[in-house]
Amino acid sequence: MCHNLAGLGVFEKDEEGNAVKRIFYVNEKLFKASYHGRVACTGCHQDVKDIPHTDVKKVDCSSSCHMTDPSDNSEFTHKRMAQDLKNSVHGKKGGEHDEDLPECKDCHNNKPYQITVKQSLQTMNFLKVCLECHQSEEWAERFYEHTFYRASIRRSSKDIVALCSRCHADQEMMQKHDLDVVMGFEDTFHGKAIQYGDEDVANCLNCHAPYAMDYSPHRIGSEETPGSAVHPDNKLATCQQSGCHADATEKFASQGKVHPSSYTFSKASTASNDEREFQQWVIYLITLVYKILIAVIVGFFVLHRILDLLAARREKKRLGEV
Amino acid sequence: MNSTTSKSAKTFVRLTKNQRIQHVILFVSTGLLILTGFMLKGERWVIESFGGAGDTIFWWRGIIHRAAAVAVIAVCFYHMIYIVVTKEGRSWIKDMMFRWKDAVDLFQNLAYMTGFRKERPKMDRFTYMEKVEYFSIWFGMFIVITTGLMMWTEYLWPKFYLDISEALHLGEATLAALAIIVGHIFTVHYNPHVYPMNKAFIDGKISESLMKEEHALWYEREIAKQKEQASHQQNDEESQDEQPR
Repeated sequence: MCHNLAGLGVFEKDEEGNAVKRIFYVNEKLFKASYHGRVACTGCHQDVKDIPHTDVKKVDCSSSCHMTDPSDNSEFTHKRMAQDLKNSVHGKKGGEHDEDLPECKDCHNNKPYQITVKQSLQTMNFLKVCLECHQSEEWAERFYEHTFYRASIRRSSKDIVALCSRCHADQEMMQKHDLDVVMGFEDTFHGKAIQYGDEDVANCLNCHAPYAMDYSPHRIGSEETPGSAVHPDNKLATCQQSGCHADATEKFASQGKVHPSSYTFSKASTASNDEREFQQWVIYLITLVYKILIAVIVGFFVLHRILDLLAARREKKRLGEV
Repeated sequence: MNSTTSKSAKTFVRLTKNQRIQHVILFVSTGLLILTGFMLKGERWVIESFGGAGDTIFWWRGIIHRAAAVAVIAVCFYHMIYIVVTKEGRSWIKDMMFRWKDAVDLFQNLAYMTGFRKERPKMDRFTYMEKVEYFSIWFGMFIVITTGLMMWTEYLWPKFYLDISEALHLGEATLAALAIIVGHIFTVHYNPHVYPMNKAFIDGKISESLMKEEHALWYEREIAKQKEQASHQQNDEESQDEQPR
């Protein structure tokens, strides 16, 4: 009704007093093509009872959206995922900085919620097969898109690393939560392969919450969470997952870090912190020794070469004078 | 220095065909290893400039690095057998061993190059620099082959050992790459005695003038040997052919 009027919006003041434009226009065509295209406005904006309405609350993704789940005719909702998130490490409320904890839209940041399957598929011919039995073209197309969209890889490894790094490589934020800053991943073999565009090596989620092993990013846990993919009890199986280090031994999964984190804020001298400090010190020492070796040896070679050239020039001059 | 490369000049055998083949395998595969190895250390923007081809390039990088590694390991093992089993190999390692004279040569040569001495010391078949380079390869190959094989069989080792391997592999590779560029390529290419290139690695020959210049002691010994052989030939007719070293 009102929201199909282009230009509908207001200017508001944000916390710092700057004017911000808020657009209330909804492009019907884009919305219909989005994930939520079949949900009515009030399916999510549930506190809107009368039209025209006044202020509306933020959408709660865990509400029931007045749609039936075709698999069992129950009311469709993202409640389970929201509950999983609440129980995961990302949902641990009660600390000092709860505002940093991610919500649905921090990771599901494809803002217009557009399905991009048509661009990635070479042909939609398979849809014709669907239409042989299913009469509604709109329904068939939506079902088809949904299936293929969920079956395809929607985020490249590069995108996933960038997504997780937004928080976990933010030194200030990690310090507030007394967590390691993930620093070295981009320089590791996995990190470099991802930069080249290799999708077969591990990105963050392949180790921390691989769907293939019945883990889920919604239920992600830390290495201290029993049952998480990176808990010492499960690490070996995670390394051994199909397509990765299939022959990994107990030793391979036991010592050391996949992404060396240079900053540990916890001052506590736990055994694991001491061990990591020792390991980092050893690597630092090796690098230092090689830096000195390179400076001394290559420096000597360069000096020797320069002296040799000068001597040759001097000799040439001497012979020329004779 | 009369670095004139006279065409009629007498030549001596510097590298046998066997040695030249070892050298070619070594430098081609080392070159590939350095190139494909440092591709893993490229800056993000360089790597991303490959665009869509990056994945394929990365795949080939891995294949080439491992293939060249196999070639290098093979030639190193061959060389170890070679210096024990063959006559020219035994003479090679014997002449390559460090001796007190190398230290003397170093100081005398430094004195010569800085102008405190009139003449270059008379050096033997291998100069002290050549010996340093040669044994650097032994040392370097031991490091990179051991750590490389560990990283190739990564599933057998604790991650910490792999971190150590990676640090050593990178350090040694950087050292070797720089040492090869400065110490070796400059010596055999950008060197007033041989510029633009010492062709010994292709034809195996060293000219009399260069030999006098850089390996005077060896030259004198070879000449003496040839004279002795010549007198032998005159003495008894059933002479052997000149033995290349």
